[in-house]
Amino acid sequence: MGRRKKHHGGSESVELNLAAMLDMAFQLLTFFILTFQSAPEEGQINLKLPPPQPVAGAAKGQAAGNEADNTNPVQNLNSLVITVFATPVGRIGTMAVGEGNVAGLTALEGRLKQVLGPESGADFQQVIVQVGSRLRYEELMRVVDVCTRQTLANGEKLTKLSFVELPDGAAP
Amino acid sequence: MSEKSAANSEPNLTPMLDMVFQLITFFMLVINFKAASMDLTLSLPVVGSAVPVDTQGTEDLLILNVDMAGQLKVYGMSKDVVSYIQGEAKASYDAAQRENPGFKKKDDLPTTIVIRADKQTPFSLLNKIITECQKNGFRKFALKAMNKEAT
Repeated sequence: MGRRKKHHGGSESVELNLAAMLDMAFQLLTFFILTFQSAPEEGQINLKLPPPQPVAGAAKGQAAGNEADNTNPVQNLNSLVITVFATPVGRIGTMAVGEGNVAGLTALEGRLKQVLGPESGADFQQVIVQVGSRLRYEELMRVVDVCTRQTLANGEKLTKLSFVELPDGAAP
Repeated sequence: MSEKSAANSEPNLTPMLDMVFQLITFFMLVINFKAASMDLTLSLPVVGSAVPVDTQGTEDLLILNVDMAGQLKVYGMSKDVVSYIQGEAKASYDAAQRENPGFKKKDDLPTTIVIRADKQTPFSLLNKIITECQKNGFRKFALKAMNKEAT
């Protein structure tokens, strides 16, 4: 009804008004240009972080207290403890694996390879990382990076860690 | 001027429309709504072994931006850590139960917590957020880092 038809000597042609469509298209284009943000290429380290809990290696069906000849209260607690002290400015200070100090990340990596690796024969069920409260995220990630590069005795990559915060001012 | 020459002075908008539609198609294809959930003002640490992971949308992710003052930011807004994590944990639990009616309260939540923290953030502030997530049943975490220095 509202369409206009032009008659030119008997031949019929319909002209679309493209201006309205162009307006809309420009509005869409403006929206996409204004909201365009190139996403940065970020990586990630996947971890399974259970809360830190003591792990007891009890035999299947073993009830508490029925191993009468065991006089060692910490036997079978297969937890490896890594301690990272922070300097006052939040950098990595002293580090230790168990009771033994390690000097730097390279030494930490070497020590973890010895302790966790397939040759060690150890079966750690849990790795607890004790971290100084001031340690910056950047420094923590360097330690996590070293830990997650390790392969456990069962051939799996180490991804299961637990974090424990050391009190402010804790020193070796 | 004749009537015929006046009609010919109208510009032909078809090529322009074609070009605009091509540009729109380009921007529609490259638009990334995921970037809206990221606080791009944060300076992430650089870790060589951090690799980009594309879950193809199969995993439920909860992105937490943490600035150097320990403030939790979600879609640009500061949130209270305790109430926000509790709400998200409930939503994740409900979704898990819908999918698997045998899912129990004690089970680990299937959602992965993606932590994007500023490299200067002290561990004590970051640990508060991690501990709160753990208290609410989250166990899967992804710590974000750049795998090369930003240019």
